[in-house]
Amino acid sequence: MHATDASVCPYPAGNSSAGRMAIEASELGFDSIVVIDGEPACSDTLCILRGMVIRASSVKDLLKQAQRAGPEIDLIFVDAGDLAFNRAAVTARGVSVLRSIYRSPKNAFDHVAARAAAERGVAVDINLYPIVHYRGAGRQKVLHRYADLLLLHRRYGFGLTISSNARSILDQRSVRETERLCALFGMTHEEVAAALATVGTLLRPARPVRVIA
Amino acid sequence: MKPRPPVMRQKRRYILARIVPPGSCPDQKQAYLSVLDAATALWGDAVVGLAQPAVVFCDEQYLIVRCRRGSEDAIATALATVTAVGDRAVALRTMAVSGTIHALKRRMRQIRPVSEPEECVIGERYFTMYRYPRQKVDLVEKSIKTQKLLFLTETDLEER
Repeated sequence: MHATDASVCPYPAGNSSAGRMAIEASELGFDSIVVIDGEPACSDTLCILRGMVIRASSVKDLLKQAQRAGPEIDLIFVDAGDLAFNRAAVTARGVSVLRSIYRSPKNAFDHVAARAAAERGVAVDINLYPIVHYRGAGRQKVLHRYADLLLLHRRYGFGLTISSNARSILDQRSVRETERLCALFGMTHEEVAAALATVGTLLRPARPVRVIA
Repeated sequence: MKPRPPVMRQKRRYILARIVPPGSCPDQKQAYLSVLDAATALWGDAVVGLAQPAVVFCDEQYLIVRCRRGSEDAIATALATVTAVGDRAVALRTMAVSGTIHALKRRMRQIRPVSEPEECVIGERYFTMYRYPRQKVDLVEKSIKTQKLLFLTETDLEER
């Protein structure tokens, strides 16, 4: 998996089916997508993974919901909250990606959370939807948050994923357009390529060598 | 008036973008206003003023934007943030950049519907159905107030 759109929300959340979004993603240069809360779909052209989003108000609720995730779920996403919640979320068992950082309060993802995320192999999601759809102060705030996140990523080395969070094929963007949009907050071509490949790393994390027989 | 010699003229670049869904940009001026609005919101008046973007060609499926040489990356980024033309939701997918319109027109491949538009009913709503290659099916709701769009595949239609 060299290029994965880390979350798309097909019908009924949006107006496009998972199959149609898969066709569109393959035409846009992706080789896999993660479908959030959608109907299961299969495609000949690319790999469709299933994701689940946990929206929890407390750490207890988060752990309870993470335990409930079935084996069909490939990735568990958690909506970011305040500082204490985010620090707990990146160390919780089963959590793969922390998302919606741009919606959380300022400094809600700090150096301690960044270090914990790097140690536990948890990635942080960069959602392109607000960059495309927001205007003015809203977009400026999002770009600032992502630039700050990038600074922490360069220092502590936790993974980044990039998602369109598309609810329609009209919200999906190509790999090249993704690079251009990420360049707005200072991400380089190599960093974008690494971020697009992070989902593959999350599914097959690097582990110590084991003697099988 | 005598034209400027070639070395004194402004160097320009042309950006080819595909319109999704086809036929959503009926008016070149509306397309220009949308591109200008997106570019100004993203880069500000100073950058866009120097880039001088203009829509020089617009048909059902493709759009060509002219800009000054050196600003094509900025305008291509702005095209990725266009979400609507007039009151219709669209996406503009940048396909190529060139120094001539002629070179871009050679890259335009018209995608024709595989059959005539058909009518279908889903629930209690009436849709016009357009079938495209690769099993794509676009449904446009027949309504006076809003035109809801659904993007499906042949397999999805069979399941419904």
